[in-house]
Amino acid sequence: MLGGDDSIGQPVPRKQHFANHDVLFATPRGSSETASASRAAKAGAKLNDQRVETGIGRPGLRNTEVSQPASVAGTVIYKTDPNRRWRYRRYYLKDQRKGHLAEAVIALKGPNLKGLAPAGEQQLAIIDQKNFRFMPETLAIRAGSRVKFTNSDPELHNVRSTDSLNPFNISIDTGREFVTTFSRAGGIRRPVRIGCIFHGAMRAWIYVFDHPYFQVTSADGTFLFSNVPPGRYRLEMVHPAGALRWSQPIEVTPSTTLDTKILVSPDNKEPSK
Amino acid sequence: MTHRSLTRRDVLRSGSTAMAVAVMQMSMPDFVFPAEEEGEELVEFLNMPRSGPNRLDWETLEEWFTPQEQVFNVQHYGIPEVDSESHRLEITGLVDKPKAFTIDELKERPQHDQLMTLECSGNGASKGFMNAIYNSKWTGTPLAPLLKECGIQPGAKEIVFIGVDRQQETLRKGTSREVTVEVPFGRSMTLTDATNKKLLLAHQRNSQPLEKENGAPLRLIVPGWYGIANVKWLTRIEVRDTRYMGRFMGRDYVTLRGERRGGEVVFVETSVNKMNLKSIIARVTRRPTQDTLVPVKAYGAAWSDGTPVEKVEVRVDDGPWQPARLDEEPRAKYCWTFFSIDLGGLKEGQHTVVSRAVDVNGRVQPAADDDEIALKKTYWEAYQQWPREIELTA
Repeated sequence: MLGGDDSIGQPVPRKQHFANHDVLFATPRGSSETASASRAAKAGAKLNDQRVETGIGRPGLRNTEVSQPASVAGTVIYKTDPNRRWRYRRYYLKDQRKGHLAEAVIALKGPNLKGLAPAGEQQLAIIDQKNFRFMPETLAIRAGSRVKFTNSDPELHNVRSTDSLNPFNISIDTGREFVTTFSRAGGIRRPVRIGCIFHGAMRAWIYVFDHPYFQVTSADGTFLFSNVPPGRYRLEMVHPAGALRWSQPIEVTPSTTLDTKILVSPDNKEPSK
Repeated sequence: MTHRSLTRRDVLRSGSTAMAVAVMQMSMPDFVFPAEEEGEELVEFLNMPRSGPNRLDWETLEEWFTPQEQVFNVQHYGIPEVDSESHRLEITGLVDKPKAFTIDELKERPQHDQLMTLECSGNGASKGFMNAIYNSKWTGTPLAPLLKECGIQPGAKEIVFIGVDRQQETLRKGTSREVTVEVPFGRSMTLTDATNKKLLLAHQRNSQPLEKENGAPLRLIVPGWYGIANVKWLTRIEVRDTRYMGRFMGRDYVTLRGERRGGEVVFVETSVNKMNLKSIIARVTRRPTQDTLVPVKAYGAAWSDGTPVEKVEVRVDDGPWQPARLDEEPRAKYCWTFFSIDLGGLKEGQHTVVSRAVDVNGRVQPAADDDEIALKKTYWEAYQQWPREIELTA
């Protein structure tokens, strides 16, 4: 269920100051080959161990004319509750005092986003299986992008999706790979769930969008959408491993940067299904 | 449903609690073993998968009774729909008085609690599967008196336990003698093992009705035996005069192991049954560096088939084995025992920390390169020592 929270920081418009940004392709911040790395570099974000290769063809919003474009930037912060411990927090909160939430998916939702900034040439992301983990576990891509699954472990792995439109169940030996295209955009609400049939603890989520305004936060919890057409949207966040969900309406005004602070807590936990 | 309703009285009441008074961990702060002090920071294990739902999260292990959301379940023929109202347990075969019982009738019989650590026999076989273990309390009526009432006939040797779950099985696949039939899940025990007074026909776990995936409405509970022997959705008990060789006794859950005999290795196949002596480092903690050394502690758990664990030792890198402190409480015969050790100051950098359990008979938990593990070709009974890799930073 989507829903705001009174404790959530309100978006505060501010004058545009991220000049010449060309952020469009949302992947984890570790994707140094993407244009989105520019913001990560500004933030001094450390590259994590997620290996994502994207940006082939790098279509870009430069090709799309947005009148008086604006930006939406922010940080996702998780507020811990000693009475409701989140045992996975050790993976996603590098500094528990600051609460910067890593591996959260952030996206805009609005009626006129679809088709903006055409995906252009096909993108390629990589999810490796290493140390019995999918790396990255959470990936966000444009519809039509390809994902290459690899296996760096000295043991047989498998990638399986029961997604109704693109089901697959492929075993991948050490050093081998499997590439598939994700054509359908399920957005932030319907990720493609990935598992390994041999190792039930391994899991990953692929979020597929039909627009360019999405991102996966890195260790500093930040995100930035540039070249956003002014208008009214919902800013949405999910954290699949933590089952956290948040959303709030925002208004993006011309030539500004909307600076947001997304505060989440155990209250934002999705009820178990 | 909460499992925090378990009380000290629950533990005391249990027939398996022969030793120490148990104190529930639930009132303690998160991530605190009895020996853990404030200010200790978790040192993450290197090169390990992340923890997920429905699996024990070793690094956050704190509760002697495993929280419900960390309880695993494994089944081979799917999870059947079972109506507890119409469900029957039938006792047939070589008995004078074959009987059938409703769940309510079983509940009316004498009830017994059994505290037990239940481990999947594949647990620990790989990094991707080393969290399939939990500790809980089971409640039900003892099996042995019920078998006695049915009158076991002379010549009976084997007791077979059959579940509701069924699936087609193919034998001699790909040969001219290939045959496929639908069979129910079954496991068996010798008459002696099956009449051990500890065996229960359980309808509750942690004072709550069994969960569907955990065998509701009735599960055989065999303390000290791997999970596969604890037959879920139990519906029939057959007394036979020959060995039962269903898939999960004769073809699957069979350990193939080489044994050295003189100069040669002879391979032997045995059915997976009793749990093995085992221990693991659950987590490592540290304090800020003092004079170039990092104060480090380790915490873990040890368990067995009920044979008392005499000691647990811990080693850092190639150093000497050091004795860990076994928690005096909570303890129960068929449950894990928590341990802790102060490893003193370690140099910054990467280290390996490993534990080994030793039982009262002198049996020592083997290392991965010891013959009994190295010559084991199948993955069940993965009870080898498990080195944990850590990195201590400044």
